[in-house]
Amino acid sequence: MLVTPTLLLAGCERTLNALLARDPAAPARLSALAGSRLLVRLEKPHLQLVLHYHHAGIDLLRGDDLDETDVDAIVELTPETLSEWLSGASIERLMFDGKLSVRGRIHLLEATRDLLFDLDIDWEGELARWLGDMPAHSLAEGVRRAARWGLRAKDELLQDVSEYVFEEARILPGRQQRDVLRDHLTELEIATDRLEAKLNRLHKRLTQLTTNQSPNKQPHLEEPR
Amino acid sequence: MSPSEKRTTHFGYQEVAVDEKASRVADVFHSVATRYDIMNDLMSMGIHRIWKRLAIERAGVRPGHHVLDIAGGTGDLTLKFSRLVGPRGKVVLADINASMLNVGRDKLMDNGVGGNVEYVQANAECLPFPDNSFDCITIAFGLRNVTDKDAALRSMTRVLKPGGRLLVLEFSKPNSALLSKAYDEYSFRLLPKMGELVAGDGESYRYLAESIRMHPDQETLKGMMETAGLDRVEYTNLTGGIVALHRGIKL
Repeated sequence: MLVTPTLLLAGCERTLNALLARDPAAPARLSALAGSRLLVRLEKPHLQLVLHYHHAGIDLLRGDDLDETDVDAIVELTPETLSEWLSGASIERLMFDGKLSVRGRIHLLEATRDLLFDLDIDWEGELARWLGDMPAHSLAEGVRRAARWGLRAKDELLQDVSEYVFEEARILPGRQQRDVLRDHLTELEIATDRLEAKLNRLHKRLTQLTTNQSPNKQPHLEEPR
Repeated sequence: MSPSEKRTTHFGYQEVAVDEKASRVADVFHSVATRYDIMNDLMSMGIHRIWKRLAIERAGVRPGHHVLDIAGGTGDLTLKFSRLVGPRGKVVLADINASMLNVGRDKLMDNGVGGNVEYVQANAECLPFPDNSFDCITIAFGLRNVTDKDAALRSMTRVLKPGGRLLVLEFSKPNSALLSKAYDEYSFRLLPKMGELVAGDGESYRYLAESIRMHPDQETLKGMMETAGLDRVEYTNLTGGIVALHRGIKL
C-alpha cells in the first residue's frame, strides 16, 4: 500500500524526536546542526533517506527525487557497513577500507552518530513529571539497584560455571592443562623424529657395508667351537 | 420573464445563491476553528497526518523555495514547509477565514516557526499575488469549499512560476462500492454525532460530509486542472480513493 512506507517513516520520526526531546544534551547538538541535510543511500534494499535537522528534532524525508546539490553530505553504505559503524568502528577506517563513501561535510556524520547514539535519556526526570520527585527517585534507585544486581549475578554465574566445568567436573580441559599436554606432545614428536633419523643412519651404514664387500670374497665365517 | 435569474450553487446538499455560499462556508469554519485539529484526528483516526505527509513528499520543496499554502488553516503543512525551505525561502499561509488563520498563526508561533512565514487572508478565486511568484502551491482539504473551483485553479496557475507544482489534496470518490457504503455510513451517521459531542456543532460536520459528496471525482478534477493551464496532471488515490492527491506542473 502506498501509505505504508510513509507510515513507517512517520513512526520512526516521531519516536526519534520523542527520544531526542528527553535527552538534555540534544538541544545544543541540534542547534549546531540546524538547517543541515544529510542524504543516506543504502544499497540493498535500495533506500534513500534525507535527515533534515532543525532546532526541535529531525525530519525524515524520502530522498527519491532529490538533487544531490540540495544536501550538505551524502553517505553511501551497505547494511554490513551500517552495523559496523553502529557498533563503533571509526568513520575514517571504514572509508579507507572502501566500505563507506562520503561526500560533502564529513563532520555531519560524526555529529549524527553523537546525537543519536550518545543519547543519555533523562528517564528519571520524565518519571518525576508523572509521579513527583521523591517517588520517581526511589523508583529509579530501585531499578538501578536491580540492574546492578542483575549484572553482578550474571558475571558470578559465568565464573561459577567455568570453574565447575574446568576444575571440578573436568568435563573440558582448561587452558593450562592443554598447554602442558601440547608441550609433552611436542617433546614426543621431537624424540620420535630423532629416533627415525638414527634408524635411517644405521640402515644407510648397513647398506654401505654390504655393498663394499666384493662379490667373490666369502664372508669370513667363524668355525663353530 | 424575471430580469435576472439568481445563480445558485451547492452548499452541501442544499442549493444556495452563489453570493451566499462563501459566507455560509465562513460560518462553518468560524465555528469549527478552535477544535479543528482534534476533530481531524478523531474523524480520520490520525490518518490525515499521513495524507499530508505524502503531499509534502510529492511537493519536492527545496531550500530557498517560495511556497503558498492555500486554505492552510491551522498550519499543518506550513510548519513542515517552513523547515524545508530554510531561512532563504518563504512560506505564505493563506486562508479566507480569519478565525482559522489566527489559530494557525498561534499554533505555528508556539512551535517556534520564525521569520520565513507570512500570513495572508485571501480568497483562492482571486489570489493577491503577482504572476509567477511561487515554486509550489498546495491546497489541502480546501478546494471543495471554494465556490468557483475553475477560477481558483486559474488563479493558482497564474501565480505559479514556470516549472512550479500545484498539489491538491482532497476527498474524492472511493474505488469500491463496499468502501463507498461504509464511508457513507461513517460520514452521515457517525461524524455529525462526533461533531456534536466534541465541537458542539453537528450541522457543520454534516455540511463537511455533504460537501465531499458534491466535490468532483478524480478524473473530473484532473480535467479541470488541465483546463486551467496545468500540464502532466496526475493523481494518486489514498486509502482506497477516499482521498486523492492531484499534482500538476505549469510549463
